[in-house]
Amino acid sequence: MNTVSTSPYLAGLLQGQPPASPLTWLNELRANAVDRVGALTVPTTRDEDWRFTDISPLTKLSFQPAQGAAQLAPAAIEQWAIPEAAARLVFVDGIYAPGHSFNRAGLTVENLASGVSRHGAAVQAHLGRYADFERNVFTAVNTAFLHDGALILVPRDTALAAPVHLLFIATRKHAASYPRCLIVAESGSAVTVVEDYVALQSEAYFTSAVTELALTGNAEVHHVRVQREGAEAFHFANCAVSLAQASRYHSVSIALGGRISRHNLAALLAAEGAECRLDGLALIGGQQLADSHTLIDHASPRGSSRQLHKCIVDGAARAVFNGNIMVRPGAQRTDSSQSSRNLLLSARARVDTKPQLEIFADDVKCAHGATVGQLDVDEVFYLKSRGLSDTAARNLLTYAFGAEVIERIPVASLRNRLEQTVMERTHAAAPGAEGKP
Amino acid sequence: MSTTLQNLVNQPYKHGFVTEIESDVAPKGLSEDTIRLISGKKNEPEWLLQLRLDAYRHWLTMEEPQWPNVKYPKIDFQAISYYSAPKPKKTLNSMDEVDPELLRTFEKLGVPMNERAKLAGVAVDVIFDSVSVATTYKAKLAEVGIIFCSISEAVRDHPELVRKYLGSVVPVGDNYYAALNSAVFTDGSFCFIPKGVKCPMDLSTYFRINTENSGQFERTLIVAEEGASVSYLEGCTAPKFDTNQLHAAVVELIALDNADIKYSTVQNWYAGDANGLGGIYNFVTKRGLCKGVNSRISWTQVETGSAITWKYPSCVLRGDNSVGEFYSVALTNHHQQADTGTKMIHLGKNTRSTIVSKGISAGHSNNSYRGLVRIAPTAAGARNYSQCDSMLIGEQCGANTFPYIQVNNPSAKVEHEASTSKIGEDQLFYFAQRGIGAEEAVSMIINGFCKDVFQQLPMEFAVEATKLLGLKLEGSVG
Repeated sequence: MNTVSTSPYLAGLLQGQPPASPLTWLNELRANAVDRVGALTVPTTRDEDWRFTDISPLTKLSFQPAQGAAQLAPAAIEQWAIPEAAARLVFVDGIYAPGHSFNRAGLTVENLASGVSRHGAAVQAHLGRYADFERNVFTAVNTAFLHDGALILVPRDTALAAPVHLLFIATRKHAASYPRCLIVAESGSAVTVVEDYVALQSEAYFTSAVTELALTGNAEVHHVRVQREGAEAFHFANCAVSLAQASRYHSVSIALGGRISRHNLAALLAAEGAECRLDGLALIGGQQLADSHTLIDHASPRGSSRQLHKCIVDGAARAVFNGNIMVRPGAQRTDSSQSSRNLLLSARARVDTKPQLEIFADDVKCAHGATVGQLDVDEVFYLKSRGLSDTAARNLLTYAFGAEVIERIPVASLRNRLEQTVMERTHAAAPGAEGKP
Repeated sequence: MSTTLQNLVNQPYKHGFVTEIESDVAPKGLSEDTIRLISGKKNEPEWLLQLRLDAYRHWLTMEEPQWPNVKYPKIDFQAISYYSAPKPKKTLNSMDEVDPELLRTFEKLGVPMNERAKLAGVAVDVIFDSVSVATTYKAKLAEVGIIFCSISEAVRDHPELVRKYLGSVVPVGDNYYAALNSAVFTDGSFCFIPKGVKCPMDLSTYFRINTENSGQFERTLIVAEEGASVSYLEGCTAPKFDTNQLHAAVVELIALDNADIKYSTVQNWYAGDANGLGGIYNFVTKRGLCKGVNSRISWTQVETGSAITWKYPSCVLRGDNSVGEFYSVALTNHHQQADTGTKMIHLGKNTRSTIVSKGISAGHSNNSYRGLVRIAPTAAGARNYSQCDSMLIGEQCGANTFPYIQVNNPSAKVEHEASTSKIGEDQLFYFAQRGIGAEEAVSMIINGFCKDVFQQLPMEFAVEATKLLGLKLEGSVG
């Protein structure tokens, strides 16, 4: 692990790696990732994949993994608790906090560092198989630091109705954390996972997360991702999903926080009849930048996918969406639709959206659409004609725009909480906001 | 069904003959000397030579673009001849003086200049390889003050106009192929519509690449002054050669206040044979500038030829209330590749743009729509509507859509829609029920699919385009 990166910044990031694991394959995986980081560079806006997301503010700061867990009072994390959760894993600055975690789910929900030795074969079969770090530098850095995170193994024909809550809390300035999650749903199983990123401080820090999900035949996974990082946070997340025959994956991804956030979500419909539904909402303002890149890869026949991505952009914030739908040769009878809806609330807000279709099979149904604009004047007028003030009408419509995505979260308490957040945000943004006609 | 369709879309190229005319060809290779030679042969003024040299020096510093969704072996720019002119080159006063062999070529192409001039009232500026050999109806146009001639003549006779506008929309260093074109362009058309003049007839050029191994680098410049309007038609064909030929043209349109330019293209360059051997590399930069208020630029293209098409006719909507339009049909078959679309850059207030793109892919071809809609912070009230539909015929082809939407003004409204479909068994069955054979049915379905674009074409072109798609899809029914 002595490779020196071509990029001094990346070499700096690689400092402070976890100690070698007793597992040879894991050490090899890390070493490969370290090598790969050595060959890669920090992406710039000259890279097509990063064209609209300038991450140069990140490279002006340096980040180190936190040493030793910060002690938090149980009350400190109460605000994020999900009462209906069957299990919870809490990580503070990337370090597992067993005192705040519990597992009443009756199946494997534990931290990866201890789970990897107990479930070696099962983990080895999946870990690092889906999140490719060949070209993605942040996945490579995460893999180089691969040590801890969440491990969820849902056995065959087991359906867990209550959600599993994975809570990642940032408390330290300039800390780097590299959480790694692996969720394996065996055939016929069902699970709901909430991946939740929160902060107790507002200084700059760096999160580079990787989540891998493997769905075996007929499995069903609901994956809720809430990114409510601190105002100065840099959040880079890569999520790779592999869907086997007739499996169903539903993701709701909400981006509220962070100075610069990037979420890559790649779903591979590897076998026949898989279904995938991706819903996303970015609600940002100020100087925030939220970037979402998704890939729905139809590699087998009779797959279906539905995607709705919405952005509400205020202040001088910037939202980026790149949604790629790939239909590979032979993936006949694919049924796919994608929609990107964007609402600009201020004169300096900006949206760059690129819904993208790549189709190499002829018997398919694919459609996508994108809209960018402000609230419909007719709708505002209608509400005003019912006696609402201009501000109230706009708030209500903005809220409704965002609520369409929030409503799809299958966890009631979280849904209510986030609806409240959207309500507060849209009300805070509205009165006298710049650029309003 | 797929075999039937496969047969339907396989039909030989009908314009693949070489005209035996002695050509004056410059030696292969590109250097400052080549550029001086071209400039010298054309007796160009010093400023133009300087522009060419600046472009060439800039080109040397640039890299060939890698981002398009097309694959081809690296082009050897030193193996191309940059100048080719038919030899018997005396001043031509009437059509009768044109080489009969040349006229026969156009006859075969179905451009009977004499007849067309009389019957259709179309003024044809014919480009044969790089030199414009005859221009009809010039006098008639001159009466209303319209200048329509080859760009070489324009440089000679109207240097002040050419100097003012050349490179003002596509700067010499704009992109790799535009820079190359600026350095070595040999001929093309120049059209100037003075203030308040509505051009009384459709203007037309017919491009044809003849000599093997010669790139065609034509340059078109159209200027419509305040309140002027013009409809311009461009058609292209090329003979069959096994090697690949490079075509890197630049077209610049400038519309001042209340001016209106309509530019229509039917492109049927040689597409290579069924195995993807040969064919034209069509790397073109086309851009229109709506400089004045209420101006309008409309692009209509029917792209059926070329081994590789790489072009994005664009509109820069600078004037307030200006309008940009793009209507496109792109058909690819065998191993053809097309990466085409448009750019709509909204700068002025209340600017509007419409994009309608229809892609049809068959065989092993790959057809991509790539479009940009950019709303600048200054473009209050801007409006865009885009629609991109693809049709796939067969399992080996690809259809891609890459729309880039960048919005920086909250009062703008941008909408994009795309869909993919195929010719269904049930549709063919329905036609068969009504006594219509598969071949005709496919042709009708395709024509229906492309209707939104065809109805934008001037009449003669609409007929030609419909026929062309019919021809491309003609063949035996299994």
